Amino acid sequence: MSSYFRALAGALSAETLKLRRTLALRMCGVTPAVVVTLCVLQFGLTELEVGQTREAAWKAFAGASFALWAFLMMPLFVTLEAALLAGLEHSDRQWKHLLALPVPRSVHYLAKWTALVALLLTTALLFVGLIALGGWALTFLRADTGIGGWPPLFWLLRLCTSMVVAGLFMAAIQLWVAIRWRSFTVAVAAGMTATVAGFIIGQSRFGRFYPWTMPVQLFAKKGEHAGFAIAASLLGATVVLALSMWEFSRRELNT
Amino acid sequence: MNAIETHALSKRFAGGFGVHELDLAVPAGAIYGFLGPNGAGKTTTIRLLLSLLQPSGGTIAIFGEALTTRRRGALAHVGALVESPSLYGHLTGRENLEVTRRLVGVAERRVGEVLAVVELAGDADRLVRTYSLGMRQRLALALALLAEPRILILDEPTNGLDPAGIQELRALLRRLTAERGITVFLSSHLLAEIELIATHLGVLDRGRLLFQGTLDELRRCAPPRLVIECDDPARALCELAAAGEAVTPDGDGTLVVALRSRTSAQINRLLVEGGVEVARLTLDDASLESLFLALTRAEAPRA
Repeated sequence: MSSYFRALAGALSAETLKLRRTLALRMCGVTPAVVVTLCVLQFGLTELEVGQTREAAWKAFAGASFALWAFLMMPLFVTLEAALLAGLEHSDRQWKHLLALPVPRSVHYLAKWTALVALLLTTALLFVGLIALGGWALTFLRADTGIGGWPPLFWLLRLCTSMVVAGLFMAAIQLWVAIRWRSFTVAVAAGMTATVAGFIIGQSRFGRFYPWTMPVQLFAKKGEHAGFAIAASLLGATVVLALSMWEFSRRELNT
Repeated sequence: MNAIETHALSKRFAGGFGVHELDLAVPAGAIYGFLGPNGAGKTTTIRLLLSLLQPSGGTIAIFGEALTTRRRGALAHVGALVESPSLYGHLTGRENLEVTRRLVGVAERRVGEVLAVVELAGDADRLVRTYSLGMRQRLALALALLAEPRILILDEPTNGLDPAGIQELRALLRRLTAERGITVFLSSHLLAEIELIATHLGVLDRGRLLFQGTLDELRRCAPPRLVIECDDPARALCELAAAGEAVTPDGDGTLVVALRSRTSAQINRLLVEGGVEVARLTLDDASLESLFLALTRAEAPRA
């Protein structure tokens, strides 16, 4: 078992190195920055009802950012990151080199999964930082929004990390698609279709069961299904991860 | 001990056999040329040897250690280059090696050592996307050598290389075998290439192993031919046939005899004593190409 974890540590270290100079890494900063910028513009240019207290104002601004993030940007981000991570190995047929090494096949898959979750978590933390910066920018641009002082950091961090957990089911499916099929287009098309379908499914009573709209459940209907979404996502991700690792370990590499 | 040994190794694909009951025996320290026309099953065999494909039947052992889907430890003895090099273009040559080094957990000094072996130390910090094909091939070879393997499995390693690059690769492989005792399993459809470097041969056609052994053993399967030019081919033909020689006219007035029991001097004497004036005798050693063609053509009707 210790040799397995040593191999996993090596594979994770290799994944970190592979991410150098990649779009996958740059997207971690770009995506949340786009969301926060749009929300700052929205609050800065339109008349919006904000809270009576500073905290309520912060939560109104952060809530708008989270809504855009959870509904649209996070599913697209997960789609793109999974496709880019898998693309690193598909592009020059690196799988035939990696899988001929004396390393258990599941280690390669687990390393990719960990890299995807780490990127998602890093982006979520950057998102919290950018929300704080965006809020402070608004105190200068639009003092009447009521935003000021320190943001509710604990609340932001809790919501952000919960959203990552609620997105794990979706991430596990996207990673499997991206690794299973060599084509970048297949992975991106699958993710985009699932995201767009989420616009409809998310508003129905099935929204809490649909992996792409589970993160939205954290604040939809005042978080009525938040607990269910987190538990279902964790369970779904575990099952999908186990099945995809099993499938990956048995896959034949004939091209 | 054999470096690679397979028994009845088979791989069946939908639509027909990939390879059929291969009994490979690659001696340790040999340069084993794995020869076959395109589509013969060379790459399938190599993918089986690297556990990239699961056999439909048969066994594989690397230095006596069984290789199966679940027991992949034997791959620790192997360094491989399958078809084109698999490299990360956005990383430098050194970083590419570092990725594999972290995966297999070898000492950091190995990166510098293999860069020196393939003579890429000067370009190690350039992005791989700027490398020429020859440099990419050498880097892929460095990747294969990184974990100090006892066997190198190389699938068509000269693909895309210019003549100078091919010559460099050949010299490098010879050096590795001589200095480090590495066994090289080299697949190619280039007969001349294999003839220049291999100590042992395996000839594969339509998924079946037609021959396995040393080059000399292969040559013994097909004796050298004696080409005879004389004043009276018809009479010479009768004399040789009467003496029990397998002789065939070659169309342009020459005769061809497969040398089995008699030497060329004895054939010459036989003709002279029979009253034939011999103008020229040419000994035609069977080239690997002619042996290969003879083997694969002989096999053709069986398929």
